[in-house]
Amino acid sequence: MSNEAHNPYLPIPMHVLHAYYESNDRSLKTLELSFDDPQDAREFFAAYNPGQFCLLSVIGKGESALGVASAAWEGDFVRFTIQKMGSVTTALHELKPGDPIGIRGPLGNGFPLEAWKGKNLVIIGGGCAFSTLYALTKHLHHPSNRGDYGKMTVIYGTRTSGLCMYKQDIAAWHQRDDMEVHQAIDVPEQDWLHHVGYVPDVVKEVKPSPVNSVAVVCGPPIMTKYTLPALVELGFTPETIFTSLEKRMKCGVGKCGRCNLGPKYICKDGPVFSLADLNDLPADL
Amino acid sequence: MNLILKKDDLNHQLNAWRQDYEVYAPQSLQNYTHFLPLQDGFELAFDVKAHNTRIPPKALFLPTSEALLKFTRFGGYEQIPSETSPRLIFGIRPCDAHAMTMLDTVFEQERYTDPHWQARRDATLLVGLGCHEPCQTGFCTTVGSGPFNHAGLDAILTDLGDIFLVETLTEKGEGLFSQLETATEEQSAQASVLQQAAAASMPIAFETEGLKEKLDQNFDNPYWEEISRSCLSCGVCTFLCPTCFCFDIVDEAQRGERVRNWDTCMFRTYSLEASGHNPRPSRVERTRQRLSHKYTYWVDQINQIGCTGCGRCVRYCPVGLDIRAMLRKAHQLPSEVAHV
Repeated sequence: MSNEAHNPYLPIPMHVLHAYYESNDRSLKTLELSFDDPQDAREFFAAYNPGQFCLLSVIGKGESALGVASAAWEGDFVRFTIQKMGSVTTALHELKPGDPIGIRGPLGNGFPLEAWKGKNLVIIGGGCAFSTLYALTKHLHHPSNRGDYGKMTVIYGTRTSGLCMYKQDIAAWHQRDDMEVHQAIDVPEQDWLHHVGYVPDVVKEVKPSPVNSVAVVCGPPIMTKYTLPALVELGFTPETIFTSLEKRMKCGVGKCGRCNLGPKYICKDGPVFSLADLNDLPADL
Repeated sequence: MNLILKKDDLNHQLNAWRQDYEVYAPQSLQNYTHFLPLQDGFELAFDVKAHNTRIPPKALFLPTSEALLKFTRFGGYEQIPSETSPRLIFGIRPCDAHAMTMLDTVFEQERYTDPHWQARRDATLLVGLGCHEPCQTGFCTTVGSGPFNHAGLDAILTDLGDIFLVETLTEKGEGLFSQLETATEEQSAQASVLQQAAAASMPIAFETEGLKEKLDQNFDNPYWEEISRSCLSCGVCTFLCPTCFCFDIVDEAQRGERVRNWDTCMFRTYSLEASGHNPRPSRVERTRQRLSHKYTYWVDQINQIGCTGCGRCVRYCPVGLDIRAMLRKAHQLPSEVAHV
């Protein structure tokens, strides 16, 4: 990328380091990718901020926009969790360690971590959209970052326990004394020790305090739709509620046109928006 | 500086430019005029009075289909070098040249510059031909452009019968016409009168004052359903629009290329997501996107209406939908009552 940084359509050459299923129904697979050229890695991590996304290229199949699911401190790799949906994501699921892959990114704005310093964070995720929130949580867990933020509350819901991602890490989070973790599934299961119910209802039950707090919500549109008002009801102001949006994307750099929300492009001006931002934009989602 | 180019000398001038540039000019092809490179023994198609080419010259900068990557063996790929050979577009109309300056704001952003667009733009000179007899479907003066608008041009010509009055607008433009004699004051005055008369002859097609607010405040109004009812979703209005730039990126595996192709917000698949969800499932939302993009989103982004009034969408719509009528109708929409 170093001498061709001016071409935003040129993917960075990478290869698959690890590939493993994330869910018991094999609909979610995690890929950890490593850079072919160490210079590319340096440039990537210098620019990367949790909440950003990349366009993953399977040459001959196409590109797919995916949120980054790792923090920079974890190592010289970039993690993505991919739901198998169409031809590109199917091709991504078929990749094996050592296979070549291209990525373009990091793209978009990411979470406004500077502005959140000194605040309590309420992190609310649903389904596979939790991936960028996982990256955020991992980022905040680093000792050099954790002190900059107050109380951390994570609320993470999936349809079933088998669809819960990053299980080992999340199990370990329950043991930490610097954060509160609430997991939820939609329908009861045997031996499930956590919440049962939809995320908006769990939020109402957990009642995170809006005092000196920001809430960040990533999930399927239906979850987001009902969670945002629940937070407003709890006393969060639109300026303190954040969400990450998705739309069909091609270029990722504000040129191909399709991901616009009024005058803003989700790829370039987002994907992270505050509810206050969204209130000023047309509901074209 | 104002200069005089005799019409009898035009072919000679174009041939002289052909030594240094690939010269594109409007030429007849299959019932329409197109910007095509001049070959030996060319014939220009200026007889169609103040009529734009069917396909706007944006296609010379953002081709309908263009390879972005070439695939190599074992899953590798390489970028396609940008075109940098010098070109001159002769006879571009002011509306189309103005549109180029708007597209520059998309493709030449500081953070992400499109290398192919920029290389072609940097290598291309635009010599405009003003419209002394403006076309019937055009409404350039309504939207802040005009039949002799200078935006984006290196030089502009005014037809004065046997001669063109040449106004050079950039240093590059001056270089192109360095051999010509200077125009007299009478000739300049004559051109100026003609230019003003051309602009004055164009009726105001719709009121732009307050239009953005009307559209913004009526995002969910039945208006959008009414104006899109006869739309076929064919996309002609966008493909032939000089300010539309949307594209798709696809891998053509058999050709071994990643290609970008023109795309349009008027198609259902344009915004269709993998989950099956579509934010713009019907012509209502898609028409709203097209009009709002031109008349409100561009205004938010660059403080200009994203339409130069070329009139192609009016002229080529197969069911006769007229954006001017749609926007006149928009003025009947209710205004949001300000909360006191």
